[in-house]
Amino acid sequence: MILAWKEIKNNKAKFSIVGSIILLISLLTFIISGLANGLSQDNMSLIKNFPDGTFYMAEDSNNSYAQSRIDEKKQMQLLENGEYSFAFSLQMGNLKIDSNKQKNVSLMTYTDNKYYQNIDNGEIVLDHSLKKEGIKAGDQLSFRQSENSFEVAGFVDDARFNHSPVVLINQNDFNNLFRTQAFQIVFSPIFNKDIDGLNAYSNSEFLNTIPSYQAEQMTLNMIVWFLIIISGMLFAIFFYMMNVQKLGMYGILKALGIRTNTLYTMIWTQMGIITVSALISSALLSQVFQSIAPTSMPYSLPLTSTIQLSILFIVVGFMGATLSGIQIKRIDPLQAIQQGEA
Amino acid sequence: MSQLQLEQVRKSFMNGEVEEEVLKGVNLTLNKGEVTALIGSSGSGKSTILSIAASLQPLSKGRIIFDHQNLVELKPEQIRKIRAQQYGFVFQQSHLVPFLTVEEQLSLMLDIAEVKGSKYDKQIEIKNVLEKVEMTHRQSAYPASLSGGEKQRIAVARAIIHRPKVLFADEPTASLDSKKSNDIMQLIQELTHSLEMMTLIVTHEEEMLEYTDRVVKMSDGEIITVN
Repeated sequence: MILAWKEIKNNKAKFSIVGSIILLISLLTFIISGLANGLSQDNMSLIKNFPDGTFYMAEDSNNSYAQSRIDEKKQMQLLENGEYSFAFSLQMGNLKIDSNKQKNVSLMTYTDNKYYQNIDNGEIVLDHSLKKEGIKAGDQLSFRQSENSFEVAGFVDDARFNHSPVVLINQNDFNNLFRTQAFQIVFSPIFNKDIDGLNAYSNSEFLNTIPSYQAEQMTLNMIVWFLIIISGMLFAIFFYMMNVQKLGMYGILKALGIRTNTLYTMIWTQMGIITVSALISSALLSQVFQSIAPTSMPYSLPLTSTIQLSILFIVVGFMGATLSGIQIKRIDPLQAIQQGEA
Repeated sequence: MSQLQLEQVRKSFMNGEVEEEVLKGVNLTLNKGEVTALIGSSGSGKSTILSIAASLQPLSKGRIIFDHQNLVELKPEQIRKIRAQQYGFVFQQSHLVPFLTVEEQLSLMLDIAEVKGSKYDKQIEIKNVLEKVEMTHRQSAYPASLSGGEKQRIAVARAIIHRPKVLFADEPTASLDSKKSNDIMQLIQELTHSLEMMTLIVTHEEEMLEYTDRVVKMSDGEIITVN
């Protein structure tokens, strides 16, 4: 431990370079992860805020909520589970903000349930992001799909779907707008045995049926994983290079009788000091980025994600450093003595 | 009486398909409080003897008896422990750890040898050893700021700080000028006598032999004379 710290203290430049690179890579990883999470929230916060449960869609829907139509009898069968189960439908629409301005929105209607407030005929409840458009409770708004106007009854937090704000609307009004009777999806907080003609999905499985979500998250998560793997490789390469320079010294110390484990502990300690310092700095910088990023940029990096990514970095760094340390086990003290100055 | 004995030690290497014997049944005994010098022409096997005696490389045949046990039969961890606790090493070059001060080099050796005692006791021991090698004034210096002679004095201090029974010195004066070589050899001889160590020195400098108690001459893998 002391040996590791002394070397860092005496080779500040060398270790600072390694630390800076880890800092930059981890910062980039944190920011991309923040963007992935932010985009995911922007895309699907409506669904992500659902409690854990099961989503049902028609078997012939081709795993697409847009094509799903739930048979009424099966719907009744599922809703027998109580007030926590409900059927719902989603459709894209255009909300007229004023005579010149329209906004893409996702309209959602549902059967009575414990999670969402009941909406009266002629009323709508909007995602809070629409407040930025100057909309207030009590305003009268209409949709491009209909000449009827609706009164804004209130706002809900974090209700976005397909990167659009969600508008909660009464079932009759929804049916009039889209000329449809059947619901697309049934949600139940408990898993019911498979029902003929319906497919069951967990929350994450349901999210992955939405093509934009899957493609977006897969791309960003792939980048995050690449960066984590690259940082592991960097650790292995840097420590390998540093170890190569120190093989003589390690050989002499082994000749003097030092335990190989002590040398490994030295490498792990150095890796730990560099990684933890770099991760603390990049976590702080990523929070600064969160506060200065434009509000239009969907960025969200919760503390749990930062901690999970940091643990992953430490594990990968540990593996990289250990891999580079294999050569320590193979050092021949005699060769080190014969090769000259450590 | 504690001794290190080499009995019928043979060492051979494979050179392609030909087996070359570099040590041909060497018998050598190191005694307490005595500096034994190994001399001989290049390739005579003197450095091989030292490294085998110090368990830095395996032998092909024979026995090494130390403290009534045959080292050849011990496991690597037992050998490491003996090297750390019972042996001291001085090499041709000082091989000091570049990022540790003189004091820290000695403290590290005490840790490697797992010497028991309080931090205060260890500080006293370091101070005593530095006095012995006349390097107290360089206690906080890093190796880069030491002269060649000073480095070698610290290497000697590191080799004896844990009170080893055997001191191995492989051409300890090879990188020093004549004056500093004499100083180092005198220091090794004095410490061998005062600490009652068994010291084995490999050297090719005949003028250094005046600081040794016994001279073993080797040729072609065999001991030819002992004076």
